[in-house]
Amino acid sequence: MRLLDAELISSREILPAQWLQAYHAPSLAGSVRAGQFIHVRTPDYSGLVLRRPFSVNTVDRATGTVTIHFRVTGKGTEWMSRARQGERLDILGPLGRPFEVNPRTRHVLLVAGGLGMAGVRALADEALEAGRRVTLLFGAASAAEVYPTSLLPDEVEYVVATDDGSLGHRGYVTDLVADYEAWADQAFACGPEPMLATLARLARGRDERLGVAHLGRKGGRTRSSAASGSAQARRRAWLQVSMEQNMGCAVGACLGCVIHGVDGPVRVCREGPVFAAEEIAWGEPA
Amino acid sequence: MKPKKRVVTNRSTAADPYAAPRRRPALAGPVQARPRGPARSDAPAIPVPSRVADVDLSVDLAPARPGALALRNPILVASGTFGYGVEYGEVADVQRLGAICCKGTTLRPRFGNEPPRVTETPAGMLNSIGLQNPGVDAVIEKYAGLWATWQTPVIVNVAGESIEDYVTVVRRLDGVPGVAGIELNISCPNVGKGGLQFAVDREAASAVTAAVRRATDLPLMVKLSPNVADVRAIAKAIEDAGADAISAINTLSGMAIDRRRRRPLLGNTYGGLSGPAIKPVALRIVYEVAQTVRVPVVAIGGVSGLDDVLDFLMAGASAVQVGTAIFADPLLPERLIDELAAYCAEHGLASFRELVGVALPKGRDRPSVKGVEYRP
Repeated sequence: MRLLDAELISSREILPAQWLQAYHAPSLAGSVRAGQFIHVRTPDYSGLVLRRPFSVNTVDRATGTVTIHFRVTGKGTEWMSRARQGERLDILGPLGRPFEVNPRTRHVLLVAGGLGMAGVRALADEALEAGRRVTLLFGAASAAEVYPTSLLPDEVEYVVATDDGSLGHRGYVTDLVADYEAWADQAFACGPEPMLATLARLARGRDERLGVAHLGRKGGRTRSSAASGSAQARRRAWLQVSMEQNMGCAVGACLGCVIHGVDGPVRVCREGPVFAAEEIAWGEPA
Repeated sequence: MKPKKRVVTNRSTAADPYAAPRRRPALAGPVQARPRGPARSDAPAIPVPSRVADVDLSVDLAPARPGALALRNPILVASGTFGYGVEYGEVADVQRLGAICCKGTTLRPRFGNEPPRVTETPAGMLNSIGLQNPGVDAVIEKYAGLWATWQTPVIVNVAGESIEDYVTVVRRLDGVPGVAGIELNISCPNVGKGGLQFAVDREAASAVTAAVRRATDLPLMVKLSPNVADVRAIAKAIEDAGADAISAINTLSGMAIDRRRRRPLLGNTYGGLSGPAIKPVALRIVYEVAQTVRVPVVAIGGVSGLDDVLDFLMAGASAVQVGTAIFADPLLPERLIDELAAYCAEHGLASFRELVGVALPKGRDRPSVKGVEYRP
């Protein structure tokens, strides 16, 4: 984690009110991992007192650039969408804990709902680079909000669901998971909380449905076998989720982004944003 | 143009622990001093670096216990915005700060309030953390050892639901190496029981302060709530009950609506407003309290630049706490220390304490402490 000054290199609206911006930040590009985030400060004259957290969308170490993908939801993101090339932003990062892919995992399933694409997008690159196969399930309200294939690597198998059926499967992206749960060695998801809660429920029943036996392990693969919140716990989990919450400091000081974990309160900014699904105390699924 | 002094922290000159040499610089004219880094070496005639270094930034927040809470500078970080001093890691240099007020600490662990807990508002933010903390024993075990190695004093912010809670927590902190003082949080607006009830009632504020005073010899600072009709009577009662200093203000009670869901945005419905939006309120309260009590007043509320620090000092504060602004700029407290020193050098002040209370009414026109005639 460090404070750095990053220059905006390019900015474009890839979907209605959704922007993709590239920043030149070599030290960040060299150290950030998929799932981590940055905390961006808009200039004083923007009149805003808090930074804005963004998942790192893609990383290009060769050119020292990182991209972020965001939707204009308020004054901060609106200001950012109007920022011009050459504008310099104050960035705090990298922050939080990354996705942990088990070294033995061959098949990676990514599940993204809407802007949740920004949370898992970097993992597609990382997994492909490591020689893994990647399937990306994506859900949106309609075809107009579907993340463009041109922004994804060719090697990714891209499956789309839309609420209104205007493109791909008609229904929720979680409906698609059943077809891939046997294929996937691990799954990684980001999106609205009800979507993540549904996925967590599916993940809990997966071993039983597939008849997976945990031979040679007394008591099976239980949550307690690795300290909750550890990288090991995430590495062993079939499903990892990237959580979202309003944030203050983003370094763990203010306790503003705390959510319920099964072992007590957890800070999305510090213990997260990536958690093993079984570390979260999910509310009743919608 | 010698400024009229009203140094709140050092009423009796004989007991002045600083006895700073009142050297007047050869030339009192304005000097261009840059806030960061070494001062310009090409500035004409005047050796700026030595002058900035000569400025005395020290302040004693517990004059009744000389040296017990003597700070190197008057820039503190406010409770709840800097965790336990470790969270910002390498980004911010805790060793430079005047003092750290740690996250509110209670007897038993508290989960705090339901999320969402924070949201931004015009020129401010609302929070309703609800005093989440691991409990006093865990805080001591986990952090006190580290604090003892720091040159920056750590003031433990203490909250409770009853007078017994406060006393028990303070007894456990008493004598622990690394704990430099207590900030009594009787003004948290985000918890159902305890918290605010002690800050809005003169008798209750007095009782809890007196009970804690009997339980410890640690420097004791009591944090006022702005959510009262007249803060002066309460401040006076707290001083009379034995507080060494008074900090003001805690957050203002507020709320926000989630328009999409058509319900209160915060999980706790209500939250405490902080940030630049509340500075004028904090300034008014500091100004009132500084005229009412003789103990040092520590200002909190929307400090986000040197101008805010100067305003609070002139209104009678002996030190300031930086809070919400740290979230946007973790380096702000350190920079304010440098900027304050540069300002004093530029204005020919041997100590920033010469600014304390210069804007207060002189002699007459002191407001009554009865509070009955108060008109906002």
